[in-house]
Amino acid sequence: MNEARVIGVSKRFGEVVALHQIDVHIGRGEFVALLGPSGCGKTTLLRLLAGFESPSSGEIWLNQKLVADKDERISPEQRRIGMVFQSFALWPHLTVYENVAFPLRHQEHIPEEFKRNPRARVAQMLEMVGLGGMEQRYPSQLSGGQKQRVALARAIVFNPTLLLMDEPLSSLDAELRIQMRKEIQHIHRELGTSIVYVTHDQSEALAMADKIIVMRGGRVEQEGTPHEIYYAPQSPFVAKFVGRANFVKGSWADSSTFLLEREGQTSLPVRVAQDLTPFHRDQVLPVRPDQIRLHPWQEGLDGVRGRVQHVQFQGRELLYSIQVGEEEWEVSTDIATRFTYGDQVAVELVV
Amino acid sequence: MATNWHTTVTERQAGGQRRNFTAPLSWEKAAGWLVLVPVAFFFVYPLWKLVILSVKTETGIGLGVFSEMLADVRTWSAVYHSLVAAVLSTVLALVIGVTLAWLCAYTDIRGKGAIHVMAMLPLLIPSYVMTLAWTQMAGPAGVLNRFASWLAGTPVELWNVYGLDGIIVVMGLSHYPLVYMLTLSVLYRIPKELEWAARSSGAASRSVLRQVTLPLALPGIASGGLLAFISGLDNFGIPAFLGIPAGIPVLSTLIYEQVIGFGPSAFGRAAVLSILLGVIALVGTGLQWLLLRKGRVDQTSAEDRSVRYALGKKRFLAEGAVGLFLFVTSFLPLLSMASTALIKAYGLPFLTENLTWKHFLFVLRDHAGTREAIANSLLLAGLTGVLCLIVGTLFAYWRIQRPSALGKMTEGAVSLPYALPGMVVGLAMILTWMEPIPGWQPGIYGTVWMILIAYVTRFLILQVKSSTVSILQVGREVEEAARISGGHLWTRWSRVLLPLYAPGMLTGLFLVMLTAFTELTISSLLWSSGSQTIGVVIFGFEQAGSTTLSSALSTLIVTAILILLAVGGIWKRYWQRRMEG
Repeated sequence: MNEARVIGVSKRFGEVVALHQIDVHIGRGEFVALLGPSGCGKTTLLRLLAGFESPSSGEIWLNQKLVADKDERISPEQRRIGMVFQSFALWPHLTVYENVAFPLRHQEHIPEEFKRNPRARVAQMLEMVGLGGMEQRYPSQLSGGQKQRVALARAIVFNPTLLLMDEPLSSLDAELRIQMRKEIQHIHRELGTSIVYVTHDQSEALAMADKIIVMRGGRVEQEGTPHEIYYAPQSPFVAKFVGRANFVKGSWADSSTFLLEREGQTSLPVRVAQDLTPFHRDQVLPVRPDQIRLHPWQEGLDGVRGRVQHVQFQGRELLYSIQVGEEEWEVSTDIATRFTYGDQVAVELVV
Repeated sequence: MATNWHTTVTERQAGGQRRNFTAPLSWEKAAGWLVLVPVAFFFVYPLWKLVILSVKTETGIGLGVFSEMLADVRTWSAVYHSLVAAVLSTVLALVIGVTLAWLCAYTDIRGKGAIHVMAMLPLLIPSYVMTLAWTQMAGPAGVLNRFASWLAGTPVELWNVYGLDGIIVVMGLSHYPLVYMLTLSVLYRIPKELEWAARSSGAASRSVLRQVTLPLALPGIASGGLLAFISGLDNFGIPAFLGIPAGIPVLSTLIYEQVIGFGPSAFGRAAVLSILLGVIALVGTGLQWLLLRKGRVDQTSAEDRSVRYALGKKRFLAEGAVGLFLFVTSFLPLLSMASTALIKAYGLPFLTENLTWKHFLFVLRDHAGTREAIANSLLLAGLTGVLCLIVGTLFAYWRIQRPSALGKMTEGAVSLPYALPGMVVGLAMILTWMEPIPGWQPGIYGTVWMILIAYVTRFLILQVKSSTVSILQVGREVEEAARISGGHLWTRWSRVLLPLYAPGMLTGLFLVMLTAFTELTISSLLWSSGSQTIGVVIFGFEQAGSTTLSSALSTLIVTAILILLAVGGIWKRYWQRRMEG
C-alpha cells in the first residue's frame, strides 16, 4: 500500500538531460523531501510521478503497479494522486466548496461515504486546514495562506495514494511559511499518506521530512534522514547547500584526524568522530558555523588566530566573519560572546 | 482593417510567456499533421495560386504580365495615390492619436471614459459608413457647404470631401484609434519613477519629455503609425466612395475595377497589382513586427493610470478642443447622415414637412435585395463567428503548447490573410475556390459559402489572438490541477477550461462577428445576385446614386452597433463585478 518506486528513470527534453538514471523509493507513509537548487531535476521527477511527463527510460511504480515506462503511461487523472501546486492553481470561477469537492466527483475509487455525502467530507477537510465555514467563498476572496489551505484540502480530500507538493510554501511570506509547516506535519500525521515534497529551501526539508533526497544536475547527490544530511554530508555540495559550511584547509592524517593548516605555525590536529571520507580527496574539513567557538586571543596560546571582519546581530545569535590566514570563516555564536570589528580571537573547532 | 490593433496588442503578450504544455506523444504527432495540412491548404495555397497566376503567360512561366502592368501609367498612378493616401493619413492619425493618448494617459483632463469610447468608435463603425456620413456632411450638397452658403447668402463650397484630400482626412480619422490605442498602452506602462529620476537629476519637464518619455514611447507610437499605414493600404471603402467618383484610383480600387469590369481575363493583371499591394503591406507589417519586438517598455509591467501633469487653467481649453474635435469628426457626420436618411428627397432642406420614415421602411420592408443582404450578413457573421470561435480557440490552445518553429510558422501562415489587404485576399480566394483541386469545381463561386470560407480564412487570426490572451492568463497549472484531481478531457474543458477561457473567447467572437457583419472589401469581389452582403448593398445604393437609401441602411447599422456596444458594456461590467465578488 501507498508506496512509490522510481527505477532507473532518465528524462530528456530534446538535447537536455534533466534526469540521469534516478532510483528513488518512497515508503509507506513516508515524508520524502526532494531538495536541490533550481534546475536540478526535482520538479521533473515530481511531474513524472504525477504523470504529466513520460520517462525517456526506466520505470515508475505506484503501489506495486507499473504506471509509466518509456512506451506507456497511465495518465494523471487515473493515478489517484493529490497534488499541491506552487501557484495553488485553484479554479477562480468555482467556490471553495466546488474546488474541494471536485476530486470527490471525478476521482476513481472514492469511498462510498464520501460520495454519498460530499458536503460532510469537504466540511471535515476544511475544518482540518482551519477554514471551517468558508465553503461559499471564491478564491479571489481569500488570502494567500487561505488559498494554500484550500489547495491542500483539495489534494487530500479523497485520500490520495500519494501526495505531491511542488514548492507549496514558496509564495507565502516568512511567518506564514513557518505556520504552514506545522499544519503540513499535522496533516501527514493524521492521514498517514506518503508525501513527496519538492523544495529548494533546506530548512523546510530539514524541518518536516522523514527522508531527504538531495539532487544536483539531474542526479541524486545524497539520500538520508535530515540528521544524516546535516551532520554527515557526503559531498562538498551537500555540505554547502544544506546549512552553511566552511571548508577548512589542511590534510587528512587518517580517517579520524585532520591536520589543520596554520600560518607560520605547525599544523594543528583535529579529532573527527564521523566518517568524512568524501572530503579526503580535496583535503578539506567541513565545519558548520555553529561548530566553531571564539575566545579572546592571548599571546603565547597554541591555537588558531583569527581577526573579526564583520559582526551581524541576529537577535538570538551573532554572526561573525573571521579572517583566518587567507580564508574567511563564518561563525555563529550566542550573544554572550561579544567581539567587535578588528578584534583578535582564538578559534576553536568543535567537530 | 479596422481592428488590427487587437492583433498587435496581443502579439507581445503571447511572446512574453510561452509555456511548454505536454500531451501524449502519439496525439502530439497526429495533432501536428491535423493542423499543418489544413493550414497549408486554406492559408498558404491561395496565395501561391495568386503568385502563380501573376507569372503565367500563354507560353508558360514568365514576367510578361508584370512588365505589361509596370509599363502602364494607371498602375503607377494607383501606386502613387495609394502611397500618398496611406502616408499622409498616417501622419494625421499620428498627430491626433498621440495627442489624445497623451492627454488621456498623463493629464487631469475630465471625461476620460467618454473620450476613450468615442475614440474607439471609428474602429467599430465600418469605414465606408463613416465615409458615407462624411459625404453627407462635407459633400458638395452636404450640411457644411449648405450652412456656409446660407451664411454667405450665395452658394459657396467650403470644402469638398470627394478627392484625394478627402480620402486622406477620412482615412486619418478612421485610423487614429490604432495609434491612440498602442500609444496609450505604452504611456501607461512607462514607470513614473523614470520621469521622477530624470527630474531629480535636474532635468526640466521639457527635457524629461524629450529625453525620457518620447524615446520610451517611440516604438509604440511608430508601430501604431505603421498599423495605420497598413490599414490605409488595405482600405477599400474610403477610396471607393470618395476616389472612384472623382477619378482617383488607388491599388485596391484598381484591382476591384479590373476584376469586376473585365472578368476572368483580367485576373492576371489584377494578380500583378495584388502582388504589388501585398508586398508593400507585408513590408509594413514586417517593420511593425520588428518595432514591437524592440520595444523597451515591458508590456507585462503594471499600468499606472495616475495623473502625472495637472493642466491647470489650460484644462478647460484642452477639454473644449477634444470635445469639439470628437463632436465634429464623429457626431456631426453621423447626424448629417441620419438627417439625409430622414428627408423625403435628396437635397430638400431639413424641415418638419420634409421628414419621412419611408426610406427606412423601404430598405427594411420593400427592397428584397436589402432583406436578403441583412439575412446573408447575419448568417455570415454568425457562422464565421462560431467557426472561428471553435477552430481559433483550439488552434490557440495547440499553438501555446508549441513554442517551436513549427508553431511559429503555422501562426504566421494563419495571420497572413489578415496582414494582407482584403482585396488581395479576395482575389486569391476566387482563384483558389473556383477549382480548389484540378478537376474539382465545387460550384461555390458566387455563393454565400464562398464568402464564408473567405471570412473564416481572413478573420480566424482575430479569434486566435483573443483566445491566446485568455489561455496564457489561465496558465498550465490550472489544467494540471484538474487532471490530477481526476478530471478527464471532457470534464476539464467543460468544467474548468471553457469557463476560464470565456472572456477572451467572447471578445474574439464579438470582434469577428462585428467585422464580418459589416465587411465590404472581400464581399464586393465575391458576391453575386443572391449572396450580397450589407456592405455590398450600401455600396450599390451609393453607386446608383440612391444616397437616401444608403444613408438609411447605414444609419440602421450604426444604431445596431451602438446598441450592441451598450449591451456588451453592461454585460462586461456585470461579469467583472461577479468575478471580483
